[in-house]
Amino acid sequence: MTTATDTSDVILDLQDLRVRFPVFGGIIPRKTSEVRAVDGVSLTLRRGETVGLVGESGCGKTTVGRAIVNILRKMTYRVDIEGRIVYHHPSGAVDLASLGQRQMRRYRPDLQMVFQDPYSSLNPRMTVGAIVEEPLRIHTRQTKAERRDRVRWLLEKVRLSPEHATRYPHEFSGGQRQRIGIARALATNPKIVIADEPVSALDVSIQAQVINLMQDLQEEFGLSYIFISHDLSVVRHIANRICVMYFGRIVEEGPAEEIYLRPQHPYSKTLLAAVPRPDPDRRR
Amino acid sequence: MTPLLQIRGLRTHFFTESGVAKAVDGVDLDIRPGEVLGLVGESGSGKSVTALSILRLVPDPPGRIVDGEIWFKGRNLLALSWEEIRKVRGREISMIFQEPMTSLNPVFTIGNQVMEMIVQHEPSARGDVARRRALQMLGEVGIPEPETRMKQYPHELSGGMRQRIMIAIALVMNPALLIADEPTTALDVTIQAQILNLMLELKTRHEAGAILLITHNLAVVAETCDRVAVMYGGKIQEVAPVRDLFRNPLHPYTRGLLASLPRVDGPKAERLTTIPGAVPDIHMLPPGCKFTTRCPERFEPCPGLEPPLVEREPDHWVRCHLHDDCHGYFGRHS
Repeated sequence: MTTATDTSDVILDLQDLRVRFPVFGGIIPRKTSEVRAVDGVSLTLRRGETVGLVGESGCGKTTVGRAIVNILRKMTYRVDIEGRIVYHHPSGAVDLASLGQRQMRRYRPDLQMVFQDPYSSLNPRMTVGAIVEEPLRIHTRQTKAERRDRVRWLLEKVRLSPEHATRYPHEFSGGQRQRIGIARALATNPKIVIADEPVSALDVSIQAQVINLMQDLQEEFGLSYIFISHDLSVVRHIANRICVMYFGRIVEEGPAEEIYLRPQHPYSKTLLAAVPRPDPDRRR
Repeated sequence: MTPLLQIRGLRTHFFTESGVAKAVDGVDLDIRPGEVLGLVGESGSGKSVTALSILRLVPDPPGRIVDGEIWFKGRNLLALSWEEIRKVRGREISMIFQEPMTSLNPVFTIGNQVMEMIVQHEPSARGDVARRRALQMLGEVGIPEPETRMKQYPHELSGGMRQRIMIAIALVMNPALLIADEPTTALDVTIQAQILNLMLELKTRHEAGAILLITHNLAVVAETCDRVAVMYGGKIQEVAPVRDLFRNPLHPYTRGLLASLPRVDGPKAERLTTIPGAVPDIHMLPPGCKFTTRCPERFEPCPGLEPPLVEREPDHWVRCHLHDDCHGYFGRHS
């Protein structure tokens, strides 16, 4: 894959990332085999850019996202991670893949996630204000009043009303909940946002609202996005570059329009051809 | 042409603690023999409840069909006894659902579940006869090695294979109408394409069979359906042949939906067009047009007066005051 010649612009650089999940079996469970979820992925993310990571279920796209925020070791017992995830922090480059949970903490505010399911990714027992405030309590030393002001500001940024802070997630629609999730991700002033299927659970008319909002926020705060999705039509609208994943590998990478107009790899072609078009003249 | 199925004035309400939810509130819809009719709408628009009402599968309580008639082969399905409606289900009208995982029984083999449908409706078709027909049907839906699959359990198959099994079960009795409720939503795009192709192929093979395809995906509708009905707020807002609907959408909601679609073809839009606001709470629908709260073109009569469904162009029906004679705005958009 391409490595940027001008590296000053690069904020995240994945080098030959490999993730293998152990499979346990037997009466006394022991590792009997393994699944190569990610099998040698290299990609670069530049400042202010959106990289779309597309592929079908099981291709490893979500695992790549989780590897970047370094939560795989917490999620899975004895997961095997190789390769480098170089994050270009102002104080110097650091390989996130080599960090333990304690060392990782310093970088967590910079790398935040937005999840697919706006129903299960918000704690139903916490008010919206408390949900958005939580990263601030963990990662900053702001006072209560400062945090409250910031929560109100964040809610306005995602086009919710500051009055919503005292309500609970169930009082909101899917699109509004996704905005809450975005506000929470932005709380710590991140540099990189990894969005894992952020609009897949939303209705068509709401999808467009959330995508536009994400683009506005990117411009305002200079965010870099890794946008993980199975929906090629959505990705086209937000990504500058696209990586097509298949069986744990990136089979094709390039500028978004290039991939849509002239896909090279047979799998990209198949994937693209299978996407239904809203055009009644193109019948099955 | 006499319709295969006629829905007239269907109202299905849910009686919940927080009030009456009028999920379906006055739906009129015809399904013609041999056609693929798309029923599109966002979550909460009432499209699934309409489908469940046809086979009287609405969970009661809290749901109840409070009014309407559904005519099928000279009989009102809503007036049939439970015994009679059971004979219609699966034999004359079949249904497949979104989740191929949860709609198959995990403790029975595939063969068992396909054969169950046959034996249920034709008690005489025992043992070998049912088995042979099940095998043949599995072959028809493109299941490799049907002999082996018969002995397997649902968890041993992929999502696409499970949806094929569902289709096999639904079609083994050769029903006149297949209702498919978001049949490909849970599947990957390449598998989605296979399943849609399979459904259309089977329809041509068993002629006169009609399909009611319920989906939120307008692109799927464009590629597979002959006619489309757009639902919003428990009512049909627009019905038209598929080409007319995509070329000349009349209802502001339909236009908004089409404009907000991200596309893989054509020039890329810098920004997606959006429909402002959100789908209104089903307990608090406006008394007039259900789309009033989000409509960019609303005017005086909209909030208070429900527009009628009128045939604005041949076979193209729309429920909107912009296209309703009585308010003098007729032709504003022609």
